[in-house]
Amino acid sequence: MIKEVIMPKLGETMEEGYLVSWKKNEGEKVEKGEVLFEVMSDKTNFEVESLHSGYFRKKLYEPSDNAIPVTTVIGYISDTPDEPMIDIEKKSEPKTDVSEEKPVEKTTISEATGKEESTVSGRIKASPVARKLAEEAGIDISLIKGSGPEGRIEKEDVLDYLSSKKTEGKPSSSGDYTVKEWTPLRRIIARRLSESKREIPHYYIEGRFIVDRIAEIKEAKKEEGIDLTYTDFLIFLAAKAIKEYILVNAAVVNDEIRIYSSVDIGLAVSVEDGLVVPVLKNCDSKSIYEISKERKQIVEKARLNKLTEGEIKNARFVISNLGMYGVENFQPIISPPGVAIMGVGKVGKELVVIEDKMAIIPVMNVSFSFDHRVIDGAYAGMFYKKFKEIMENPVLD
Amino acid sequence: MREITYREALNEALLEEIERDPKVFLLGEDIAIYGGAYGVTAGLWKRYGDERVLDTPISENAIVGVGLGAALTGMRPVAEIMYIDFIGLCMEQLNNQVAKIRYMFGGKCTVPLTIRTEGGAGRTLGAHHSQSLESWLIHIPGIKVVMPSTPYDAKGLLKTSIREDNPVVFVEHKMLYNTKGPVPEEEYTIPIGVADIKKEGSDVSLLTYSRMTLFCLEAAKILEKEGISVEVVDLRTLLPIDVKAIVNTVKKTNRVIIVEEDCKTGGTGAEITAQIMENAFDYLDAPVVRVAGADVPMPKSPVLEKLAIPDTERICEAIRKLVRR
Repeated sequence: MIKEVIMPKLGETMEEGYLVSWKKNEGEKVEKGEVLFEVMSDKTNFEVESLHSGYFRKKLYEPSDNAIPVTTVIGYISDTPDEPMIDIEKKSEPKTDVSEEKPVEKTTISEATGKEESTVSGRIKASPVARKLAEEAGIDISLIKGSGPEGRIEKEDVLDYLSSKKTEGKPSSSGDYTVKEWTPLRRIIARRLSESKREIPHYYIEGRFIVDRIAEIKEAKKEEGIDLTYTDFLIFLAAKAIKEYILVNAAVVNDEIRIYSSVDIGLAVSVEDGLVVPVLKNCDSKSIYEISKERKQIVEKARLNKLTEGEIKNARFVISNLGMYGVENFQPIISPPGVAIMGVGKVGKELVVIEDKMAIIPVMNVSFSFDHRVIDGAYAGMFYKKFKEIMENPVLD
Repeated sequence: MREITYREALNEALLEEIERDPKVFLLGEDIAIYGGAYGVTAGLWKRYGDERVLDTPISENAIVGVGLGAALTGMRPVAEIMYIDFIGLCMEQLNNQVAKIRYMFGGKCTVPLTIRTEGGAGRTLGAHHSQSLESWLIHIPGIKVVMPSTPYDAKGLLKTSIREDNPVVFVEHKMLYNTKGPVPEEEYTIPIGVADIKKEGSDVSLLTYSRMTLFCLEAAKILEKEGISVEVVDLRTLLPIDVKAIVNTVKKTNRVIIVEEDCKTGGTGAEITAQIMENAFDYLDAPVVRVAGADVPMPKSPVLEKLAIPDTERICEAIRKLVRR
């Protein structure tokens, strides 16, 4: 019987691969599990092994820089060394129809170490310690080839991968640039935000809050010895607006739109070479003083890298403030699984027309990014209106 | 250091504790005039007489019951149950009285009772005299279960057991009595509940106890030549078990084989595996493997008996398979 060798799909996002080399010559015997060829995909090389024993009869492609779509037939294996080869010329195209007239059995190819076996219905088989190591190093475990039983990814595989990455990514100063190594935190940021921007249909609204009343309260409280920041007001008052527009407090998890009863607000905090989003829980049932106190603690903890997992999990609505740098406006990327994020620009005095009179009063530039899958523009607009109203007429109790 | 046998080490421990504390006395079947079925109490009756070394009728229930009564009234008895296979006969005393009485009386009394017994296969004594029943015992809260593998551990742990104010079942192994090892002449004790790394290694951990420790050390030696570094952790005490030592070795090697002589189903290894799951799951690189006794009554035939319990070769095979080298 003649069996096809195809360009394998080695990852969910892989559409095409490059044939790097054949490991067998035409006519050579090949055992099931033996490496037959090498493929490059997403800048990673994979050795691919055959699922069948037999004779490697025909190469349809030679290694080249031309991409080959996945499932394209690239060669043939036969059971015996001399059985007649069928007319194969037509079939060197991507699989659209599998010929019915010839006994060509469709075979799948597993990656060198049985990667396909290792992912059963999307779950990657990996030992606990391998998972832990990969997580600590901030690498995507699905990129690693498993060498254990049934393709299980083991500790050694992760360590090998890490050391190969290390040699790849060694800072070099040759030429016009130096190479900065990925830190685990940067990798996580890169992955999460790329995913967010790729998966979530963002849209943005902009506006400004008149904050003269808040400025007054701030001053008054300062005289009492209580130091409140604009961020404290934002968290405290956002919770009140969110309480009325509960979709803003939603999260998309496992293809479900989950709406939570507690309003947990995340705060983007910049740390050394990165950014974390600690969470203030139950903001809707706390006083502004409690929020202020907690905010100080959590920001301090973030800077000292002492946040626990619970303190950075499950942020939904997130506030990101760049106002202190004089930024007028910006459009932040939503932090999954949340569906909305607020970008806070600078607070400054501006000329504002109020009831046909000009006034010079403090104004805060704000913008919001929403997930259109969950929140439509009108809802976002109503939320903005409510939030603005609350911010401009702040009530602290 | 001088080398003595496991039997001699136990004999010394008993002698020293009889000397040290007038409340210590021994009781059991044929332990006085005859010197014990395996000779552990040899010479003690001659030296200390009926007051301290007491032959009893053939009634395990009475031996443990008398031991308990004596312990409650201020003595520090060491009872011997000739074979662990007979422990069922005194389970009422052991399980319902000895293990619980201190607890049920709110700590008003102590039970400084040591029950020595021996178990294991190897002498083709058949299904009634070759069992490993330690997993029954570790299911009884209120007692401690000690199972030493070397003369040094046997002596140090027996002395600690006798001084312990709670009941201890001290399980010796019939195939270890003639094994020799270094034992210092000076006084020492070993704490209950602390495992001992008998050999350091980095590729795989063998968790074991009693006689199987010797097999594990042999296997480690063989595999060392094949380039596999094996750590052998002798648990020494099964109740309370040294979870910290178990977790530490899992963290170190990430691969574990439990080697136990008792029947696999519901055995000690099952409990150790669960401890690893609960406390060290994130450090495992492969599923825990058990090399254990077969789920059969111990056969009388020497050939079949050998097949029914782990041996060095089977341990080696398990290691090679797990480490895949």
